[in-house]
Amino acid sequence: MTIPEPLEILIEELSKLPGIGKKTAQRLALFLLRSDENYISRLSDSILSLKTKIRQCSICFNITTTEICDICSSPKRDRSIICVVEDISDIIAVERTNEYNGLYHVLGGVLSPLTGRDVDSIRIKELEERIKNGNFKEIILALNPDTEGETTSLYIAKLFKESNLKITRIARGLPVGGNLEFADEATIGRAVLNRVTIQ
Amino acid sequence: MVLSSIGLRNFRLHKNTNLDFSKDLNYIVGGNGQGKTTVLEAIYYLCTTKNLNQNQDSEAVSFDEKHFEVKGHFRDLTENITRIHFDLETSKKTYFVDEKQTYRASSIIGKFPVVTLVQSDHAVTLGAPAERRKLVDSIISQYSETYLIYLLDYNKTLRHRSALLSKIRELNDKSLMPQLEAWTETLVKMGLEIIKHRLKFVENFNEYVCHAYNKIMEKKENPSIEYNFMGETRESEIEGKFIQELNNSREDELRRAKNLIGPHRDDFHFYINHYELRKYGSQGQHKTFQIALRFAQFFYMKDRLGRTPLFLMDDVFGELDANRAKKISMFLREIGQAFITMTDLTKVESIHIGNTDLLIEIENGRIVNA
Repeated sequence: MTIPEPLEILIEELSKLPGIGKKTAQRLALFLLRSDENYISRLSDSILSLKTKIRQCSICFNITTTEICDICSSPKRDRSIICVVEDISDIIAVERTNEYNGLYHVLGGVLSPLTGRDVDSIRIKELEERIKNGNFKEIILALNPDTEGETTSLYIAKLFKESNLKITRIARGLPVGGNLEFADEATIGRAVLNRVTIQ
Repeated sequence: MVLSSIGLRNFRLHKNTNLDFSKDLNYIVGGNGQGKTTVLEAIYYLCTTKNLNQNQDSEAVSFDEKHFEVKGHFRDLTENITRIHFDLETSKKTYFVDEKQTYRASSIIGKFPVVTLVQSDHAVTLGAPAERRKLVDSIISQYSETYLIYLLDYNKTLRHRSALLSKIRELNDKSLMPQLEAWTETLVKMGLEIIKHRLKFVENFNEYVCHAYNKIMEKKENPSIEYNFMGETRESEIEGKFIQELNNSREDELRRAKNLIGPHRDDFHFYINHYELRKYGSQGQHKTFQIALRFAQFFYMKDRLGRTPLFLMDDVFGELDANRAKKISMFLREIGQAFITMTDLTKVESIHIGNTDLLIEIENGRIVNA
């Protein structure tokens, strides 16, 4: 049996989504086919508005519906501290902890010469500009603990070496609440090598 | 750990071979090209999912067949049945432990430890430094996953750094230098961990080499392995040395767009009575050293992992004089289970074969006598 063309196109488009295979795409498409028109128009509107209503914050490059994002415009936020992250999803992760009340800066990538990413292709110039014009006391580097993330942290730390800024990197090691026995060898191994003195 | 039986389907010459093994020594005897080494190859697949001689998986499929399968029965504290299947058409290799599929090859590293002594081992003492690094890395990685991950990260850093070096050379752009500095710092950090692990390993491993070497030699000799990072062995001084050498070679590195300094260029030096083996060693000393290294690896891994590896020995007796063959066969008694291939049955006379040992004769992929 041949599938009607509109349905086939939808299946094809849905299967481009991350985590969606051909079969799931087909199930979703058939579900949409059976759904009532109201739902379909709300869904398609909400997808469209992603592109029409959401844009990048002109200061920190977070996502926002206004010129400047909620975090950058909030008077309750501590403006002396800035957390550098790779991607928007990292802001969401840090925000969920409710432990951080400073500002953010989204780099949009990390240094990776192998894939051709250097300082000019991520937002380091913008970070320098913000630091120069702002009144910051501390930079927190919250990049992934892989070689690319580490090197990017080192690069940024060097960049501000001459300034009086305190530069920190988020700690790594054992997950909270987890038992030592359940952590994988590599995590424990590095946690032991990077142990901290308590007395 | 003991491998009690194995089954081979469409594996090179072996269309359908089933073998029960002795928990002691298993001598596999047959002429050239009859399928002796194939048995070792199959055992190695079961322990590591990889090919013994780094050949393509497709080469192990019997002529005119579409897949191969090897199945093994391991006995330790518990029993495990492992199975490996390779399909020629899809080039897909699947590995099962107790019929549960394993997706990451790294998850079985160290689970079924194996030590091999093969013909190509001559490269360890005679070949390039890379051969010795490969040996050391493979031993440390089997008991330290932390080391393995540092090694992988270090190699990635090398690739990034050389890409950046090429770019700087190509564009002649000095504004990229601060980025190079950051990558250099990562290189030093990862490299230091690798050097520290290697220093500690060599320090401990020497004792094992010495013991093994003197077990197979007539008169007492003093073998040793020496390792230093650019002439430095003191842990506290290595970082300074590393950074200093990198600074000295910066111009050279930029000109050649290559990583010139770091543990990826390390070498391990072998000595006998303080004479360097590479320069002064006789053929016999080389051979003895190669054998001693593998025996040392066996006992070292046994101590570190707390489980006994399998020992595979491919056609080593052929090259040895009767006296040393006898000594090695005696030493093999201390090992536990081993698998030894031999071409020449006359050699068997000089080898001590015990009641619990097994002699397997193979002809054209078939067991003629076991």
